[in-house]
Amino acid sequence: MKPVFVLKGININDPFVNRLTDGTIFSLEQIEFIIPTVEKILTKVNDLKFTNSISFEAQMIEKMISFMYTCDVYDLEPVPYVYSGINYSFPILSVNFSQTEEHSVLDILDIAEREGIFESDYYDRIYLCSNCSNGHLTYREVCPKCGSSNSTTEDIVHHFPCGYVGPISDFKNEIDDQLDCPKCDKRLRHIGVDYDKPSILHECKNCSHKFQDYNVKAKCLNCLTDNGVEMLKGREIRKYRLTKKGELAAINGFVSTSKDIEEIIGTVKFDTFKTMLKYEIERLRQTEGSSNICAIHITNPSQVYSKIGSEVQKGLLKDLVRVIRSSIRSSDAITFQSSSTIVLSMNEIPTRIAKRILEEIIVMLKRLMNTAFKNMEVNFETNVMPLDYKISPELHIQQLTKDFK
Amino acid sequence: MFEDIIDNYIRFLTSLTVDHFIRLFWFFIFFEFIRYFLIEFVILNLWKLSKWLNRDVYEKARQEFLFENPLVSIIIPGKNEGKHIYKLINSLKEQTYTNIQIIVIDDGSDDETPTIGRDLQKAGLIDLFIRNEIRGGKASAANFGLRFTKGKFIIHMDADCSYDRDAIEKIIIPFYLDKEVGGVGGNVMVRNYDESLVTSLQAIEYYDTISIGRAVTSYLGIYRIISGAFGAFRADVLDQMKGWDIGPGLDGDITVKIRKLGYKIKFEQDAVCLTSVPNTFKKLTKQRLRWDKSLIRFRVRKHKDVLFPNQAFKFANFIAFVENITYNLILNFKWYFYLVDMVVNYPSMVLNILITNILLYTFTNFTKFVIYSLYRERKNAPYSFFLIYIPGMVFYFGYYLRIVRTIAYLQEFFFKLSYKDPWNPEKTSVHAKRLKL
Repeated sequence: MKPVFVLKGININDPFVNRLTDGTIFSLEQIEFIIPTVEKILTKVNDLKFTNSISFEAQMIEKMISFMYTCDVYDLEPVPYVYSGINYSFPILSVNFSQTEEHSVLDILDIAEREGIFESDYYDRIYLCSNCSNGHLTYREVCPKCGSSNSTTEDIVHHFPCGYVGPISDFKNEIDDQLDCPKCDKRLRHIGVDYDKPSILHECKNCSHKFQDYNVKAKCLNCLTDNGVEMLKGREIRKYRLTKKGELAAINGFVSTSKDIEEIIGTVKFDTFKTMLKYEIERLRQTEGSSNICAIHITNPSQVYSKIGSEVQKGLLKDLVRVIRSSIRSSDAITFQSSSTIVLSMNEIPTRIAKRILEEIIVMLKRLMNTAFKNMEVNFETNVMPLDYKISPELHIQQLTKDFK
Repeated sequence: MFEDIIDNYIRFLTSLTVDHFIRLFWFFIFFEFIRYFLIEFVILNLWKLSKWLNRDVYEKARQEFLFENPLVSIIIPGKNEGKHIYKLINSLKEQTYTNIQIIVIDDGSDDETPTIGRDLQKAGLIDLFIRNEIRGGKASAANFGLRFTKGKFIIHMDADCSYDRDAIEKIIIPFYLDKEVGGVGGNVMVRNYDESLVTSLQAIEYYDTISIGRAVTSYLGIYRIISGAFGAFRADVLDQMKGWDIGPGLDGDITVKIRKLGYKIKFEQDAVCLTSVPNTFKKLTKQRLRWDKSLIRFRVRKHKDVLFPNQAFKFANFIAFVENITYNLILNFKWYFYLVDMVVNYPSMVLNILITNILLYTFTNFTKFVIYSLYRERKNAPYSFFLIYIPGMVFYFGYYLRIVRTIAYLQEFFFKLSYKDPWNPEKTSVHAKRLKL
């Protein structure tokens, strides 16, 4: 995250250099002019809390948004780039990948957008090899029979008086440039009057096949696969803007993607949880009863996650869920609001009982943490609130988690 | 009033002598009954007998054909026929004879035909789809398709038809029965026979007049038109003629051209094709006007040389021509002569003559339909379905078609209207007219 400047005698047009450095100076005397920029960047770097993210994708996203935050760059625009494996480059992200792996950039940006880190607009559409996802393709019209691109093309001539139809070579004679009909021996005089050219005919020089419609194939210059164009993978190239949530994720650290969390057994997706909550609220409107919603929040996630690797992080979250699941009924649901906040339902029990269960869960979780990670302190915050049929599921969750640090 | 007519008619019948009967119904007796029933019936029996006697020869020819297994190329030219093609291709995929090459030629369609054709080719259901962006007429489309054929035999099909499972096998065998056969016509039947009155009447016409008539003329060696819906040709013969000349009526034209080259033309009753016929009198009238005009254009004008003794003179061609002209053209006008004869000479008996004629024709039509059904091995509808329509045949065949034919002949004789038929693009018709083609 250190600021980088280029010392060079001329302006540089390389998109990677321009976007990955913080500026260009043309002599060492100019250093004093860049000091304010350097200071600003370093101050912003100090804001950042780095975490060890769960997945590779999350690591890439964190790296990218941290860089954008420190450089005050909020737009991520694709750059047409001939050396890119997909023909467009997002230098801040693409720099992490070799040319042959560059298609992964698009997957990572998709994930980041789904997580709300970016907003995006359509920019262009690209087509990638069906085998290796490379964008360096050469499009050719080929013979539909043998696939050769070596062919000749002739006009088809229709002679009106006798109905003869054939390639123009049938009409050519060896003596002069005139055209004579091979069927009725009449001389062709005037296009549109006694003959016309209703179509064309191609002949493959490889297999002698005659045809009218070429097949279009796209040969990958990376793996040499000859793709039918309908087999190519079409992808959208979009331009991205860092959202407020993205900015906060840059500062606080981006630990995992919802995809990572969804893989943890015993939990439901956050959206599913909200739907279940909505039905429970609706049920309470019609029947008398007491149901609750609870939250457990890790107050120091960046401290925790930065000390352990991504696999262990996943293991930690799995253990947390296992402990919680053992204390609640199987009809109650658990979900991750974020990688540091777990939300769960405790239906059909009084709120005071729910509070007591939650206290027991925290005791167990702390015991687990002490056993598993001896030198690491994990702090939890909790909250319980009874469901009120007068307010929406979203508001329940908002009120439940509003005081968490 | 009605009783008076009946009384009057009974009196007319009781007073009828043999001489008198012949005088009053000479047209029916000498032309219709003798030509279209008696002679036809005798020849039908001879044909059936010869078929039975030659059954071993036929089987040998069939074996020779199947052993040789030649490639048969099928060309299907048409404009805006995309919607029909799948049904046709489906029937071709079911064929007992499988060594076939299917070529669909799109003659400048302006609907979704190009997409359908290309999809069929991509799916491997047809071998080739080719297209002329600019419409050139059916002959040019067929000729364009012809140059992509690789088969020893070429079959011309219409896109709105479908074919019996053994149709291709059956239509090729005659080439192995007689090496001088240059073309074979298939048997066209009506698929939509129950769609309307007009399609039912046409179904009977196709059964009795067209199919049986062609079987008879084929046996006599004077069969004159290989239907465009289903016709097979030797590839070398088509090559000699450089394909089809411009229409309308190109199927009749090419048949004469093959005959002129000295080849025989055969009809194969067992090679069956189903087609959809016009379902209203208006559409049928348009179709028949076109067909009937081509008799004048091709027989009387373009190929009149078959009448004259020259190098290419063939007696069979001469007879075929004379028979065609006599029974279609001359007889058509002779009927008016008969009408005038009756009105002028027997004005008081016209109604009774008319009733008798209707009864005679109806009786003959019933007899023909029942007896001829013994000579048809293949039917695509129960015969009982048609019985109630048979009385209508008198009016359909005797009056409606005769009037249409008369109009067509007059239009073509005096105005050469076939050259203005939009069936063919104008750019080609002007040349055909100028060159008297």
